[in-house]
Amino acid sequence: MSFTRRKKMLAATAGAAVAALTLAACSSDGGDTDSTDEATGGTDTSAEEVSLTLATFNTPGFSNSENDAEYQYDLIEEYMELNPNVTITYDRKAESGDARENFFTKLGPGGLADVEMVEVDWMPEVMQYSDLLTDLSSDAVDGRWVDYVEAGATDADGRLIGYGTDTGPQGVCYRADLFEAAGLPSTPDEVATLLDGDWANFFAVGDDYVEGSGGSAFYDSASGVWQGMTNQLDQAYEDPDTGELIVLDNDAVKANYDQLMAASETQSSHFGQWSEDWFAGLSNGAYATMLCPPWMLGVIEGNATDTTDWNLANVYPNGGGNWGGSWLTVPASGSNIEAATALAEWLTAPEQQAKAFANAGTYPSQVAAYDDEAVSGAVNAFFNDAPIGEIFADRAQAVVPSPYKGEYYFQVNDAINNALTRVEDGTDDPEASWDKAVADIEGIG
Amino acid sequence: MSMFKRTSMVHISRPTWFTYTALAIVMLASLFPFYWSFLIGSGDATTVRDPNMSWIPGGNFIENAMTVIQNPAVNFWKALWNSIIVSTTVSISTVVLSTLAGFAFAKLRFKGNRGLFVAVIATMAVPVQLGIVPLYILMAEFGWTGSLGAVILPALVTAFGVFWMTQYLQQSLPTELIEAARVDGCNMIRTFWHVGVPAARPAAAMLFLFTFVTAWNNFLWPLIVLDQSNPTLPVALSMLQANYFVDYSLVLAGVLLATVPLLILFIFTGRQLVAGIMAGAVKG
Amino acid sequence: MASTDLDTSKAYSPWRQRMGMWDRKASPYLYIAPFFIVFAIFGLFPIIYTAVISLMDWDTIRNSGEYIGFANFDYVLNDRKFWVSLRNTFSIFLLSSIPQLIIATFIAAMLDHHLKARTFWRMGVLVPYVVMPVAVALIFSQLYADEYGLVNHWLGMVGIDPIAWHKEVIPSHVAIASMVNFRWIGYNALIMLAAMQAIPRELYEAAALDGASKARRFFSVTLPQIRPTFIFVIITSTIGGLQIFDEPRMFDTAGNGGADQQWLTITMYMYNTGWGELNFGRASAIAWLLFLIIIVFGLLNFWLTRRFVSSDQSGSK
Repeated sequence: MSFTRRKKMLAATAGAAVAALTLAACSSDGGDTDSTDEATGGTDTSAEEVSLTLATFNTPGFSNSENDAEYQYDLIEEYMELNPNVTITYDRKAESGDARENFFTKLGPGGLADVEMVEVDWMPEVMQYSDLLTDLSSDAVDGRWVDYVEAGATDADGRLIGYGTDTGPQGVCYRADLFEAAGLPSTPDEVATLLDGDWANFFAVGDDYVEGSGGSAFYDSASGVWQGMTNQLDQAYEDPDTGELIVLDNDAVKANYDQLMAASETQSSHFGQWSEDWFAGLSNGAYATMLCPPWMLGVIEGNATDTTDWNLANVYPNGGGNWGGSWLTVPASGSNIEAATALAEWLTAPEQQAKAFANAGTYPSQVAAYDDEAVSGAVNAFFNDAPIGEIFADRAQAVVPSPYKGEYYFQVNDAINNALTRVEDGTDDPEASWDKAVADIEGIG
Repeated sequence: MSMFKRTSMVHISRPTWFTYTALAIVMLASLFPFYWSFLIGSGDATTVRDPNMSWIPGGNFIENAMTVIQNPAVNFWKALWNSIIVSTTVSISTVVLSTLAGFAFAKLRFKGNRGLFVAVIATMAVPVQLGIVPLYILMAEFGWTGSLGAVILPALVTAFGVFWMTQYLQQSLPTELIEAARVDGCNMIRTFWHVGVPAARPAAAMLFLFTFVTAWNNFLWPLIVLDQSNPTLPVALSMLQANYFVDYSLVLAGVLLATVPLLILFIFTGRQLVAGIMAGAVKG
Repeated sequence: MASTDLDTSKAYSPWRQRMGMWDRKASPYLYIAPFFIVFAIFGLFPIIYTAVISLMDWDTIRNSGEYIGFANFDYVLNDRKFWVSLRNTFSIFLLSSIPQLIIATFIAAMLDHHLKARTFWRMGVLVPYVVMPVAVALIFSQLYADEYGLVNHWLGMVGIDPIAWHKEVIPSHVAIASMVNFRWIGYNALIMLAAMQAIPRELYEAAALDGASKARRFFSVTLPQIRPTFIFVIITSTIGGLQIFDEPRMFDTAGNGGADQQWLTITMYMYNTGWGELNFGRASAIAWLLFLIIIVFGLLNFWLTRRFVSSDQSGSK
């Protein structure tokens, strides 16, 4: 008799599974079933019921259901109130890497959301498939973003495939107490003056710091500085016209490498970015500076327990630099491209991004947002009341479009980053490590 | 066999102080991460990076757990329910189908037995990390993306389960018992039910447990094929790490919450792993 | 389905006989059919897909590519990283599976007693298997941090110099192997326990009456009796061990196997090629090479195990 009981149980679970399947199948093409009064007209397409899916990652500050912290604004609700015919389903992955995997799994067979967020780290790869994404350019958004953000989402044919959301213009975070102990000036203004100059100046200050501190490291890691240096080159790894690899013949890259490796011997903490030791270094003073995009402030604050002396200087070696940021794209395979574009346009408008910044601290890439009091007036208490709104607006204006990043950007960058790390680890000397990177790069393609 | 008195086995397998000491050491190592998770999960956001972290739990566990449950992004109850459905369906199905197949492979004679069995094992040697792309193409073709079925169906039976039940039954089920059942006029399915199933019970309980836990913690495939409106627990809990600064006290409180149902399952399944089944089978 | 063939006009007894024949012949296939059906639907397509694209310069996103013969295999076999990852895989595999088998068997033997609070002990050893990977990664990254990690702290207390876990090859393998062992020892112990519990206690009685010591009983009764399960554990941990992925990937936050490929395993190399470089054709070639390696090594292992864990008693079948 126990057999029949189990058989019934099996049948029941199997039934449940099938029911779940059909229900989900119904809801995917569904939308709201109860139709509103306006929809009866039929000719007015703008009032037609539309259900949209929006997919992001991390916390872009769009909705209060993103985080347990209380957000001031719920942009998704707001949009649905403004457009009663639109229903938005908001899907989110935790990390950029998860979102990337999801994006490239579904870009081919279909199944992406109507609006998909793409991060700067994998934007060059997405650009290879820009024809599968909707051209979003229009007069309404002309000149909305700082130049490098718009350039980053414009393909070779001049199609704009992404609306910028946040961005990562960098200043320099530093430990005022450690600067002082090493005999260096330590107020934000003084440090900005001190570091105003090229990379050689930055490393010269580093030498002074190392000497004054009795051998402590000046910056957190060679990899962190490397991205700062490379992103200022006109051409780095690939030829913008042909897409061919030029990195091995590019003297500027090798010169950066040599300069950085020479300095890192004494100035780097030799910790890998995001390693446990690197995190510990945020509070135990193992290094005194870090190149600092807005989102890094939260990382430092959260991990630097018992430290009160982090500060932010309105300066960046050799001009400006960007680290991080995202765009909203509209996959061409979607069924509501027009409505999706409208949503993406609205979400990335300066007013909304200023609210997103208030929600989640994601720094806007829209020029007009920098004049918004909510952005320009922002101060950060942990960083000793640094006027981050002002500082990052300045830093954003200083960023020059980064070098062309094509199909091979990540493999090359990875190979060089590995070379840097090998030297930092003491596995290889700089030349031997570079030779390994050369071998790796030669195998690409 | 049954001429020996059952009491004799107590004598043979009586544990000594050595047994308990050895097991206690193993237990300490096993439970350490659990305790450590509780230390972090009962502290606050700074506990994990605190170099002077205390070995005594903080008082915030309930509060952290409530934060996780009430976080709308986590969708906790829905995720819990989905995980229960997925893991239960998958493990019941795997146990039933693997036991059937294992019974056939271990004890029934049929053409191609050996070859097919090797084929089962060979399927385990295919690395799964690339399978996501073709599997998604398949699911998109079937129109199953976003539904729990996409997570359940590919896991209904595993090569691991079939292999395990085969090996176990080969060892623990005397072929004479099957012959005897046949002589009694049992057809195949009755033989399976009256002889195979009782012999398989401890192994089946174990397979159930393993399959359940694996399905419960499965992350990569559900992350791709399900979305946040209809997640399983690991997919839902990953939301706690969706920040540049990750509050590990919440993450680990979430991890512990997700583990509670498994511990309850342990208590029930653990009792099924008892010896002496064979004696019953001989008499029956 | 096959019941349509039945001719009910026949006399009862021959019908029954034919049924019996049919039952005997068809039942085994029916019982194994579900596995092969599920496999055919969800397992076969991915395998064929990878086989096809391994011979192509494949663009997964456009679902198109060009046939290039064995160029992907040629590239992989000439790539230094492939051979380094092969070395790492086997090194981590040996460092983990051998202690794992020995300790798991030992724990199983300890659990195979008439213990008080049996469920507690049994389930306790399985706890590491249950803890979600995110917690495991966090714990071990704190234990093995090069500079401020707990393990180096403890080593320092007994006067041993700190070890560069994330920089040197062998230490990184040892650390990863310890993660693997931590997670899988209890699991394998329970598998072994289930097999041990199915051994008729009378065999031990007989051996005890012959004056065999406890250790002797273990080697002459327990091990031979659990032989099929032992083979099972060895084969599954060989297959799983050569596919090792989660632990080395969690070993640092970059998840790329180290700047000098110190702990890059074959599966990671495959994953990085596929998902990192979006070169799924080449990654599929790696998958197939790994498949072949596992088959060869698995057969070798099976053969060795049969030779070493064999006995006269197992001739009962």
